[in-house]
Amino acid sequence: MAEPRDAPAVGRVVLELSDVSLGYGGEAVLQGVHLEVRAGERVAILGPNGAGKTTLLRGLVGLISPMKGEVKGSNSRFGVVPQRERLDPIFPITTRELVLQGAIRRLGGWHRGYSMADGERAGDLLAELGLAPQADLPLSHLSGGQRQRALVARALLTDPEILLLDEPTSGVDRQSTEVILAQVERVAREDGVAALLVTHDTRALQERVDRAWRVDSGTVQAELTVAQGQELQEPEVSA
Amino acid sequence: MSLAEAWEFFRWSILAILATGVAAPTLGGFLFLRRTSFHGLALPQFAAAGVAVGFLLLPTLVDLGAFGAVAVEDIASDTHSAHGYHLLFAALGTFTGLAALVRARDPLGLESARMAGAFATASALTILCANASPFGEVFVHGILTGESLVVGPLELATLAATLATASSLLFLFRHDLILVSLDRETALITRRPARALEMLLAVSVGSCIAVGTMSVGPVMLFGLLVLPPLGARRFASSIRAFFWLSSGFGLISAGAGLYASFWIDLPPAPCVVAAAALSALPGALFSRPS
Repeated sequence: MAEPRDAPAVGRVVLELSDVSLGYGGEAVLQGVHLEVRAGERVAILGPNGAGKTTLLRGLVGLISPMKGEVKGSNSRFGVVPQRERLDPIFPITTRELVLQGAIRRLGGWHRGYSMADGERAGDLLAELGLAPQADLPLSHLSGGQRQRALVARALLTDPEILLLDEPTSGVDRQSTEVILAQVERVAREDGVAALLVTHDTRALQERVDRAWRVDSGTVQAELTVAQGQELQEPEVSA
Repeated sequence: MSLAEAWEFFRWSILAILATGVAAPTLGGFLFLRRTSFHGLALPQFAAAGVAVGFLLLPTLVDLGAFGAVAVEDIASDTHSAHGYHLLFAALGTFTGLAALVRARDPLGLESARMAGAFATASALTILCANASPFGEVFVHGILTGESLVVGPLELATLAATLATASSLLFLFRHDLILVSLDRETALITRRPARALEMLLAVSVGSCIAVGTMSVGPVMLFGLLVLPPLGARRFASSIRAFFWLSSGFGLISAGAGLYASFWIDLPPAPCVVAAAALSALPGALFSRPS
């Protein structure tokens, strides 16, 4: 596979929120958020339904402007893995066509088509995610886990600086969960991609993330530590 | 009537119907994928309503001197000479309808009811205005029943240029439009200009409907915008195949409908729509579970 372009140096801050308030129609959903994400880091975003995880994600990528504070890095190149239920099943789209959408920023030629190089990279990513046999099948023929892997391949084809995964392991079989998390780990380690994983599934993420945030009661409440071989847990309070 | 005779007398109309058969299903394909096929039904009716309103206003505009010294009877009796005037009102009707349909979107799920209401209103307005106009009744009735064999070289050229421009633009921005339709939020995050792309689609579809209504009538447009994509969806295994099949079904429907129309001496629009319905039938009968 070709090397991703402009991979950020590992350890550099790629996303930073300083005293940020986010919300809709003048009403804040999250307040006083201070966060930073470094290249090559894997960060889990935890929290119950309605806590504001989606609002946080929308603020990070610049879909909503902060009511207060500053978001640095929202112009970065994001690769997004949405919840697969969001894809309309009416579309007769093949797995390869879906993955190629990751190269949409690089359309070229008089016909504004995908390049041969991007076609080959899409093929490579499909193979790496174990989807080569399903490449030319309609997406509707794939299992939930296979669809999720296809969405990960699409996000990786964007050459992201920051990867956002919304419930990537929810309702997904064990094999697909492993493949997805291994890919996230690989691009974080090799390419310095920062990965933010929104999830309820703390079990699957054990030892697979570097840090975790809990979003609740209108703010990002605590940064959780990740101890080797242990569950994600609250940080110890120093005396 | 033999095919040779039909070609001799109606070649411009035949070419207009075949061109619509190829292009309209492509536009309808985008409406289908965005789950807005009802626009394909409502907008041609708004265009027809616009034409009827134009006829109603014609005597007043002539009295005001908008056409110089030309008599209202002359304008009304020669539809070719008033092509631009009717087209203007068809476009006004279409884009008014489009604005109403865009505003009809709401989170309470009342969108389809509002669209149905708009369609009913446009249908009633068309009949009322056509009946109230001393000149428009025959012309509008002809449009509504699909008597579309009065197309001349000017109408064909206008239709062909509009369809070609709209199809070319949609082809150029096909990947962006498909992403915006399939996954709008991801499109926004990858900095696709979603609103501009949706506007491009709306203007392309609206222009083709305004011009198409004047050339082949709303009934044929209904059928060719909605039915071929419906039939193609069943057999298409990719986006590319979906659009090719939609266009293919549209062309075959237009050709078969025209042939049947000359053979059994019926208006072409209902015959083309009946052929398009037949092409969609296998998909409807043998739909596979999702």
